[in-house]
Amino acid sequence: MCDDTVDQKVDIATSVMSRNDRFAADNRKLLGDKDIYTLNLISSPGAGKTTVLEFMARFFGPRMAVIEGDIQTRRDAERIEKAGCQAWQIETGGACHLDAHAVNHALGHMNLDPSELELLAIENVGNLICPSGYDLGENMRIGLLSLPEGDDKILKYPSLFSSINVLMINKIDLIPHLDFDVDRAIEECRSLNPDVLVFTVSAKTAEGMEEFCKFVELNFI
Amino acid sequence: MVPPDLNGWLFMHELSLAHDMTRIIGSALGRKIPLDRVNVTIGPLSGISPESLRFCFTEVAKIEGFGEPELVINRTRAKLICLDCDAEYETKDFYQSCPDCGSISRRILSGREFTVDSVELEEGND
Ligand SMILES: Nc1nc2c(ncn2[C@@H]2O[C@H](COP(=O)(O)OP(=O)(O)OP(=O)(O)O)[C@@H](O)[C@H]2O)c(=O)[nH]1
Ligand SMILES: [Mg+2]
Ligand SMILES: [Zn+2]
Repeated sequence: MCDDTVDQKVDIATSVMSRNDRFAADNRKLLGDKDIYTLNLISSPGAGKTTVLEFMARFFGPRMAVIEGDIQTRRDAERIEKAGCQAWQIETGGACHLDAHAVNHALGHMNLDPSELELLAIENVGNLICPSGYDLGENMRIGLLSLPEGDDKILKYPSLFSSINVLMINKIDLIPHLDFDVDRAIEECRSLNPDVLVFTVSAKTAEGMEEFCKFVELNFI
Repeated sequence: MVPPDLNGWLFMHELSLAHDMTRIIGSALGRKIPLDRVNVTIGPLSGISPESLRFCFTEVAKIEGFGEPELVINRTRAKLICLDCDAEYETKDFYQSCPDCGSISRRILSGREFTVDSVELEEGND
């Protein structure tokens, strides 16, 4: 801190995300201590996050738990429970993203003790910008882009697509009907993020989904 | 469905970040006093809209007892390194390719920053 009696200016030099990052570190420790591997799924509204998680719920069963973030409604959590997993709904009451504090609170309500529990998937609020700056304490950040959104979205939303570990291009069953250039999307994502892993899937027809689940599983077994 | 009493602007994450800013400033100063200026740095990969932040911070600073400071935003550019020719360059627009060789194969070195850098106190408030 500088001498504020001379120039009346006080240096602060503090990251605004530091509070969130502290909660994220707590979450990472809590989940790591329980050997639970955590995913953060981010996409625009309707790209297919819940449909992907329904497939995963059938694949992993009680080995997986899900946190659902939505502005208002328990609908997605009910879909996951029907598919066979424990699900906790965070209703953000207007906020456009989940933060690590809200996830920390949810973790306090969930049953994380069953010995078969190995995987936690967090469905973020549908939004391509706001969730990108919030570390939730995940081990893997997954960005979903679906074909109807267009192949030019990656470079328009660089804060998200530069921060993901895995890009899932969903709804590839629609390829015959749309002019989405899958190679272009992949190349542009690599230009923000040379290490990104890419899966092209259809959560609806299940194409590529089992391969994706096996890849996720390899990270914790 | 948007409840009518939420007024739309509660949907910005910049609102909760404006609260975090006043918390950071309050604990650095140890007190709440009217401020002249608040200097922040925002990178193009931070996910922050400078205009939304300005709007939210103006409201929150007043409510939290920091007066009506000017928010001075230092908007940085991202630093990148070209993986084809090793040139380092800066940009805000990720459609822009390497100025030396035109490649978009690159690694991002910085651009996610969002910091409160300093505050300036009103005259007579030292
Ligand atoms: N054709 C096609 N439709 C799909 C696919 N995956 C999901 N959908 C459909 O897309 C719509 C939205 O899917 P959701 O899984 O609810 O999307 P979401 O990302 O969870 O949406 P929000 O939670 O509202 O942000 C539903 O009608 C799904 O049936 C797919 O692979 N192909
Ligand atoms: Mg959903
Ligand atoms: Zn180059």
